[in-house]
Amino acid sequence: MSTARLAEVRASFLSDLAEAGRDAAEVEKVRVKYAGKKSGLLNELTAALRSLPNEEKRVYGQALNELKHEIEAGLAEAKKAAVTEVRVKHAGGLAIGGRQPQLAAGPVDVTLPGLPVARGAEHPVHIVRRRIEEIFLRMGYDVEAGPEVEDDWHNFEALNIPPDHPARDDQDTFYLEDGHLLRTHTSPVQARVMESRQPPIRIIVPGRVFRRDSDLRHSPMFHQIEGLLVDEGITFGHLKATLEAFLHELFSDRVAVRLRPGYFPFTEPSAEVDISCIFCAQKGCGVCSGSGWIEILGSGMVDPRVFEAVGIDAERYTGFAFGLGLDRVAMLVYGIPDLRQLFAGDQRLTRQFA
Amino acid sequence: MKFEARWLAEMLDAAPPADELAARLTDCGLLVELREQGDGSEIWDVEVTTNRPDAMNHRGLAREAAVATGSRLRPIEFELAENGGEVASLAAVEIAAGAPCSRYVARVIRGVRVGPSPEWLQRRLLNCGVRPINAVVDATNYVLLELGQPLHAFDLGRLRGRRVVVRPAARGERLTTLDGVARELDPSMMVIADETRAVALAGIMGGADTEIHAGTTEVLLESAHFDALSVRRTARRLGMHTEASHRFERGADPGIAAVACDRAAHLIAELAGGGLAEGRLDVCPRPWQPRRIELSVAALAAFAGLEIPAVRVEAILGGLGFAPARSGDTVRVTVPAFRVDVERVADVYEEVLRHVGYGAVPAALPVLPTAPGKRHPNWQLVDRARDAALAAGLTEVVTWSFIDPGADRLVDSQPLCPGTAVILANPLATTQSVLRRSLLPGLLSAAQGNLNQGERGLALFEQGRVFAGGAAGPSEPERLGIVLRDDGGDAEARFRRLKGVVEHVGTKVGLPALRWKAGGSPWLDENAGAILAAADGRTVGLAGLLAPEIAARWDLGAGVAVAELALDAATSPPLPRFTALPRFPPVVMDMTVEHGSELGYAGLEAATRELAGEQVEGVGFVTRYQLPDGSGRVRTTLRLVYRHAERSLTQDEVNAWHADLRRGLAERLGVGFA
Repeated sequence: MSTARLAEVRASFLSDLAEAGRDAAEVEKVRVKYAGKKSGLLNELTAALRSLPNEEKRVYGQALNELKHEIEAGLAEAKKAAVTEVRVKHAGGLAIGGRQPQLAAGPVDVTLPGLPVARGAEHPVHIVRRRIEEIFLRMGYDVEAGPEVEDDWHNFEALNIPPDHPARDDQDTFYLEDGHLLRTHTSPVQARVMESRQPPIRIIVPGRVFRRDSDLRHSPMFHQIEGLLVDEGITFGHLKATLEAFLHELFSDRVAVRLRPGYFPFTEPSAEVDISCIFCAQKGCGVCSGSGWIEILGSGMVDPRVFEAVGIDAERYTGFAFGLGLDRVAMLVYGIPDLRQLFAGDQRLTRQFA
Repeated sequence: MKFEARWLAEMLDAAPPADELAARLTDCGLLVELREQGDGSEIWDVEVTTNRPDAMNHRGLAREAAVATGSRLRPIEFELAENGGEVASLAAVEIAAGAPCSRYVARVIRGVRVGPSPEWLQRRLLNCGVRPINAVVDATNYVLLELGQPLHAFDLGRLRGRRVVVRPAARGERLTTLDGVARELDPSMMVIADETRAVALAGIMGGADTEIHAGTTEVLLESAHFDALSVRRTARRLGMHTEASHRFERGADPGIAAVACDRAAHLIAELAGGGLAEGRLDVCPRPWQPRRIELSVAALAAFAGLEIPAVRVEAILGGLGFAPARSGDTVRVTVPAFRVDVERVADVYEEVLRHVGYGAVPAALPVLPTAPGKRHPNWQLVDRARDAALAAGLTEVVTWSFIDPGADRLVDSQPLCPGTAVILANPLATTQSVLRRSLLPGLLSAAQGNLNQGERGLALFEQGRVFAGGAAGPSEPERLGIVLRDDGGDAEARFRRLKGVVEHVGTKVGLPALRWKAGGSPWLDENAGAILAAADGRTVGLAGLLAPEIAARWDLGAGVAVAELALDAATSPPLPRFTALPRFPPVVMDMTVEHGSELGYAGLEAATRELAGEQVEGVGFVTRYQLPDGSGRVRTTLRLVYRHAERSLTQDEVNAWHADLRRGLAERLGVGFA
């Protein structure tokens, strides 16, 4: 063992370090190889000191110390460089951030892939929410918020769903031990807003809602967005035009919109709203079950009983309300088959929408 | 609900082809969901909404079809042959005072021979999903499907005292129903009883003892109207749902009891033989009172946004049984008994609009003030946080608002725990029975799931509410949670990456300036965790590497960094102010300070800034390295940016300042220099 060995180790260290570049995992491998506590090369070199003749010990020791410092400083620097570079993973697991390109001779292979940009990925439900908010903000609607833990009055009674009403069966409810409940729809926020101010009212309400139900198309937690417009002289034709304008913005101007009579306790008349199938141009496909139409939202003219419950003059004002499932829209536009998959926390799902 | 298309067509004069009939029904709100070929007829599955019990039978649906297609509903015609003696001498009916039964009609048929019903009837029942039993029971089911009236046939010979009474059950009274289940009743439940015992659950199901059997010769046929609420509550308490209860709960036709009774009695006599006793037993403590509503054709046009000719309004309402009478603009209608859902003028508007067709209403956007829409401050806040996290390159997940009680208990010891746990009274599963008090359990489950899928690097965030119990009901503070995990780097590198993200988000969201204090155990690693506090000492977050015990609970290895921030502490961040751009170049000098580990970087930087004075524009961290001599001392390299606003600096003067700074730091902090 001699100082020549030290020079050898130094050279190989520098080359390994350059090779590792900014890849933190590679730098760590280099650290273990040279400065590792158990089997690092420095240990071996230090142990060798004891077996040297005394006259060589001083020179060797000094050189070894220098090498130690050099290795430590080099590792610290490389580690810093590696961690300051933002590292991103693809859904597919491809690591990037990789090696510092060597100053290679010759031309760059321009067909090499570009380095991925470190971009965030928003959850599809929130992408859809913000798109819908944006459409209604442009039409002058306010975006409202309300509690997820509700009382029976706002979630049911004020909306013309008294106790023992059969509609309560369709909205199986989670109750808290203190008698509160988890809101089964975003509609209680309508009631809260109408209790707190007089028309004109023009709002939409996005939010989390909860129903005691779980299968492919039902999840105990999901998201809705709700709309309400109340003023003097509001007509069913206004409802129709507003929904058409909205659905044309959300999907396409080419989409046909169909209103069918339906039933909701808080609207009278009520309408189920279908759009022409965006996948098959109404030729019939799996998404529309061959019917050419996709049920997209529920709507209607506000039931006068709701106005009475929240203290708005039902003789003077009329209004309309509508609501749709954000998750449902996300599933539809992105082709996601299972609702519950949206809440599994799987980054491979979200990253597809980055 | 299943309907036989041929039966519907038989009820109409000039019925259109099936395709058109189905399309018109769908247009007026009775969605024909599925059409399939049955025995001798198409079978339609029609979605009848809960407010329309009147359309849950063939005649009711045919009435809609008649109006929708411009055909006519045929009258119900049959000839009743009464020849079996006076009914009052054969049986008796009573309704106990106050019982929720507005009418009870009964007829008696004697000398029946119970056998199977004819094939045409069996086929019709089977097409509608009803199992044939015997001619007597089949006749009652046939009339249920035809007219919507639930009926029950008792073996009169087994009714003690040959009488029935509608009364509340006695406490602890027992009844074995037709399905063979022995049920214990209480006084909130209404029964049909004979002289000594309950023989049927009113409006829900008959009893086994008095059912029609092969040896039955005398039949008492019940056709009654029970109150919706009473039937609904009893059915729910007993966990029962029958064809009869389904209709009574939603509101059966109070006007059809007598007609339906006659119709079924006629069928029974025809199919099972025997003589029909003369007259009906008919007790009616609360006769049905028709509701009258007035509507203005002009007001209807204003509501709809469409002029509808008065004659059209009359035709539609007439066809639906509302007996309209018009004078000028005013139409007076009498709501038919079977339309329990129509209570006020908006309901009548709907009837007209349904049949005019929603498609006929012209779309016209409302004219409103041109005020810009505003977003609720809460949405502004949470989307600021979301955008900041996205800008930091993180991936959003949405996890459940309810979590496992075991995971929730761990949150008790979390520095940001908002209060007591909020528990669901009726969870779907115990693993989802407590409202989350922290976003971290959900995020760690997500991290675990991703790692199990072979993902290596993780940079996840969730924005959402947590819940905590309070005297005035639960509170719902908004949170942001973060989980980071990458392949390389030591604890310090991982911590600093997390800290970078947290500080960025804090600034963008408008959190108060964060003070980082080592802590956060037992959730965070003792050597790499921090509690984040505002200047006033409020805890607004925690950030650091996960403690090994917590990591182990979710099967996560070492090196997972987490943070949770209380967004409610944020205020709207101020508008950035422009700083004049420097006109002269800087001189950048590094300085490596050797010091003990008790001096934190924050202390070193603060002292440096203070001592450096105005000639130093910026102080930054370059690197730190631990001396290998076992002394625990470290070398920290700082980068100083010297600049003068009005002139270029010379290297000499900067060297002199730099030397002064070293001396000052040595004096104040006792540090050395490498």
